[in-house]
Amino acid sequence: MTIGLMHYLALAAILFAIGLYGLFTKRNFVAILMCIELMLNAVNINFIAFNHFMPVNDLTGQLFAVFSIMVGAAEVAVGLALAFRIYHDRNTVNVDELNKMKG
Amino acid sequence: MSELINAVIFYVLALVILLTALGVVLGKNLVHSALLMTASFIGVGCLYIVLHADFLGAVQFMVYSGGVAIIIVMGIMLTHRSEKTPSSPAHDHRLPAFGIVGLFAILMLTVYSYSPLRTTEFVVDDTVNALADMMLTHYVLPFEIAAVLLLVAMIGAIILAKGEDEV
Repeated sequence: MTIGLMHYLALAAILFAIGLYGLFTKRNFVAILMCIELMLNAVNINFIAFNHFMPVNDLTGQLFAVFSIMVGAAEVAVGLALAFRIYHDRNTVNVDELNKMKG
Repeated sequence: MSELINAVIFYVLALVILLTALGVVLGKNLVHSALLMTASFIGVGCLYIVLHADFLGAVQFMVYSGGVAIIIVMGIMLTHRSEKTPSSPAHDHRLPAFGIVGLFAILMLTVYSYSPLRTTEFVVDDTVNALADMMLTHYVLPFEIAAVLLLVAMIGAIILAKGEDEV
C-alpha cells in the first residue's frame, strides 16, 4: 500500500496523455492553451516526484519546477494575447478556420 | 497507519486530478472547462504539499489556480462569440487521437514498470530557505534570465494585444 515513485509517474503520464488528447481534439484556441497547461502540470509533478524519491540531496528538481511554472505563466500570457489578436483580426478563434497559409 | 492515510490521500487527489482533467478535455462548454481546470490545478498543488514541496504548493496555488485561471477566463470572455454555437466543439478525428494517446500512455507506463529505479525518501523541512540559497548562488544566472523572460513576455503580450501602432 506504500505510495512510491511509480504511482506519481503513472499519474503524471496519464495526466499528460489526457492533455495530449485535448490538444489533438480541441478546436478552440483557448481550449488548446488549457490542455497545454495540463501537460505542463504533468511535467511538474514528475520534477517534484523525482526530487522527492531519488537520492539527489538538494532541491534542484523543485527549482526546475519553479522555472517551469514561470515559463508556463509567460507562455499563457503571450498565448492569450495572440488569441485576442487573432479574434480581433479574423473574428474567430477556431483553429480549423485559421488556414490562410494553406496552399 | 500513516502509510494507509498517505495512500488514501494520494488516490483521492489522483482521482480528483484525473477526473477534472477529463472534464476539461471532454467538456463542450469552455467556461466549465476553465472551472474544472482550476480544480485540477488545486489538486496538483495539494499533491505537491503531500510530496513535502510546500513552497511549490503555494506557488502552484498562486500562479496556476490564481493567475493562469483568471487570464484564461478573461481570454474566454474576450473571444466568446455567441450563445448558440458550442464554445468548444470537438474534432472529428477523435478515434485516431484516442489511439495515439492510448499508445503513448501504455508506452510510458511500460517503460516505467520495467525501469529499475532505486528510490529513497528525501525530505527538506525548510524548502523556502533551501530554494532561496540555490536560486541566489549557483542558479543566479537562470534566475536573472527568468526575470528578463517575464519582462519580455509582459511587453510582448501588451504589444500583441493592443497593436504596434496604438501603444
